Amino acid sequence: MGKEILCACEDVTVEEVRRAFALGFRDLESVKRYTGFGTGPCQGKSCLAATVRELVRLGATPAEIAPFTSRPPLHPAPLGALASLDPEDLPLDPGVPRPPAGAGAPRPAASGPLPARAEVVIVGGGIMGLGLAFELGRRGVSDVLVLERSYLNAGASGRNGGGVRAQWSTPTMVRLGLRSLEIFSRFAAEMGVNVWFRRGGYLFLAPDEEHRGLLERNLAVQRGFGMRTRLLSPGEALRIVPELDPTCFVAASYNPDDGVVFPWPFLWGYAARAEAAGARVRTFCPVEGFDIGGGRIRAVLTPAGRVACETVVNASGAWSPEVARLAGVSLPNRPTRHEILVTEPLKPWLDPLVSALGTGLYFSQSQRGEIVGGMGDPAEPEGVEAGSTLRFLARFSRALTRLAPVTRPLRVMRQWAGAYDVTPDNGPILGAAGPANFLQLSGFVGHGFMMAPAVAELYADFLTGRGKDEIFDRFTLERFSRGDSVREDFIIG
Amino acid sequence: MPRLPDPRFAPDCALLVDGRAVPARHGESLAVALVAAGRPLLSRSYKYHRPRGPYCLAGNCGSCLVRVDGVPNLRACETPCRDGMRVETQNAWPSAAHDALGAIDWLAPGGLDVHHMLTRPALVNRVMVGVSRRLAGLGRLPDSAGSEPPPATEERFDALVLGAGPAGLGAAEALARGARRLLLVERAERLGGRLRARLDLPGDPDLSWAEEVASAVERAGGEVARSTALAGLFTDGGTPACLLLARGAPERARLVRAAHIVVCTGGVSSPPAFESGDLPGVFAGRALAVALTEHGVLAGRRAAVVGEGPEAEALADRLRGAGMAVESARGEVARALGRLRVRGLLLRGGERLECDSVAEARPPVPAAEALRALGVPVRWDEAAGAFLPEVDPSGRTAVPGLFAAGEVARAATGAEAADGGRRAGEAALG
Repeated sequence: MGKEILCACEDVTVEEVRRAFALGFRDLESVKRYTGFGTGPCQGKSCLAATVRELVRLGATPAEIAPFTSRPPLHPAPLGALASLDPEDLPLDPGVPRPPAGAGAPRPAASGPLPARAEVVIVGGGIMGLGLAFELGRRGVSDVLVLERSYLNAGASGRNGGGVRAQWSTPTMVRLGLRSLEIFSRFAAEMGVNVWFRRGGYLFLAPDEEHRGLLERNLAVQRGFGMRTRLLSPGEALRIVPELDPTCFVAASYNPDDGVVFPWPFLWGYAARAEAAGARVRTFCPVEGFDIGGGRIRAVLTPAGRVACETVVNASGAWSPEVARLAGVSLPNRPTRHEILVTEPLKPWLDPLVSALGTGLYFSQSQRGEIVGGMGDPAEPEGVEAGSTLRFLARFSRALTRLAPVTRPLRVMRQWAGAYDVTPDNGPILGAAGPANFLQLSGFVGHGFMMAPAVAELYADFLTGRGKDEIFDRFTLERFSRGDSVREDFIIG
Repeated sequence: MPRLPDPRFAPDCALLVDGRAVPARHGESLAVALVAAGRPLLSRSYKYHRPRGPYCLAGNCGSCLVRVDGVPNLRACETPCRDGMRVETQNAWPSAAHDALGAIDWLAPGGLDVHHMLTRPALVNRVMVGVSRRLAGLGRLPDSAGSEPPPATEERFDALVLGAGPAGLGAAEALARGARRLLLVERAERLGGRLRARLDLPGDPDLSWAEEVASAVERAGGEVARSTALAGLFTDGGTPACLLLARGAPERARLVRAAHIVVCTGGVSSPPAFESGDLPGVFAGRALAVALTEHGVLAGRRAAVVGEGPEAEALADRLRGAGMAVESARGEVARALGRLRVRGLLLRGGERLECDSVAEARPPVPAAEALRALGVPVRWDEAAGAFLPEVDPSGRTAVPGLFAAGEVARAATGAEAADGGRRAGEAALG
């Protein structure tokens, strides 16, 4: 049929780009995410210029057409060849792409005017902040302003692997995970946007007896919640993923009700519904300071103006310590880079998300068919760093091709990085800290996305006086100075 | 008459394409062999199951992916033919020509709104997600793990030149003359880049120059790496580290460090800017010229050339000289006609050109990704309709040790590219 295709890899039409632009996805990073252009096997080489020509015709500003971040590798690279590199010879450096030398491109202007005042200002337009704005709206609090420093999905909410699970080791986390899974499963129907939730399960692999013990202890906790988690022998695990090498693990735990999602539309869905309830969501609007007086934040300061407020919620993930510092509050969060990649798209073959304890390798198959996977690096230093390294490609490829040798010919199409918002005990930081009306909602250590729907509900209840869940007693900032924090040890991908 | 009657081009082996024998010439690319056999239709597209075939024939676009000997998603244009090679078309059932799911394209003439389709009720959404998962993806999982590649090599050279078109050859020549031990990397099997099209534009160096430069590089102790792709420019504590992939089964990784890097990666053909421009039979113009010159392969009998200027005219002459009927599309193209491959072009003025192949001969856009990886700024150039990297006349970029020349730095002709390459090579000599 008559379609003008701009991106032949992903079948993106000129019409789709026009629709995205009309909906407010104006900057190139947002257009890429909304339409999918530039994410296929040609890695954007063919379609970038053609798409920008169309955006210019539609009236995009020079700042809006700054080219999207160029992602390595420059040519699809087989996992087998990457696994032949010795990661020990490769540095953990800031990675690529390097920021452009010189002044760089101008930032787009804030996506709309700011009100003179707002009852609640939420700093950070990730899933936590937008989820909270939506839940507040449902509870009748509509005078909410969400400030996002960049485009929607620019932070960890748009960079994670999309795994959502209830296999945790403490009752609190299991409870939050279960509630989030429930919300994830109904999200598309209730919010009117597809999120491609698929219950393919989570398969944890224990490389040794110590990790088997951990899985057994977790199983006992999870059974208490009626979860269907089972402990499997390597042979039984092969029935779920026949491609695994059974000599790599001694036991596995499997919950068929865990799953994967496509992260980006959650933010669009939450933002659209929050705005429909009266909230304002402003992108490209960083917070630059707070006006503090009488032990309270009186106003939030941004390049687009000053907004007086009753309450400020700091939901800016890896940037939370930076934002808190503007209010004179010192948070113990240590943002740490976490790298991730996708391969070429394949027909469905892998149902669960597989997570190998020990190495930290995890991988799943996305709705589009790509293998999406990551692996933490114990040597990774603290810092918000978004560059990609060859060392990660080598480490990940070694681990994956060892565990599932048939992946050796698969090609890596794209790699990127996000930040884990790490805290000293791997628990979040919730509630007041510093000025009386300055509330924290951060520190989810790479698992914020999967926890957000449940946490947003509880946080909205807390803010509107509908109830104070035990998490607000457990995860205070003071716990670190009191010395009564309990370490969560099931932090993976 | 898709192959010129010349013994140098005569098929000498056979491929099995979806179980049927297709004649081919050993070593030529699978894409070229299939075009010669009149089978440019290789798969169905990702979302709408539109017919897909090779376009750029240069490893840039993603339109020619096929399954070869049990390995999915290989670029046909980068896979050399071997006797008995098993080739399977992808993402189509029962075949690329008669694909049941091609109906998606017809049922959704305005495209699918994937973000909002069938979100409610929940049960419908769940079924839709399940069905769409089965439809998504391109190739199937590989048949086997294949053989394990040898350990990657780590190498050092004085200089690295990426791309062996006129600019890369110019840079390599200058560096070899300065007695630098350099690695000249070319993704294709043959050197020459745009010169391989043999359009003999005014000032174009002769293609034989490529082999002269290759000899000079080797005499200076360097190496010419053909069939080697640039997989990435990374950083290694401040200095660049270049990941190369040498083609083969399996591909071999080389990690190369060099004090000076000259990026001569050329340009990428933009997709045709008209309706149904994605039909098989629409090719990047240079691709058709190279197929003709190096393999004696014509894409059909009647070609339409889109684009203006000396290169488009030379291309039309070249194809005409080989016996094709060639028309130039004067004026804006409204759409390509045809169902499984192009059968004509409709111009905005209503004029209709009958053709079985289209050569898109508008200037390519700079392939600046390698430069961007290391922090070279780019700016949008409205006249060029492309992002241009910031490179000074001597080929220097803002990144120390990193140079660029040729089409990536907006050289309009082969002669300009060669000069720019020499200047960049001399600048890299310091």
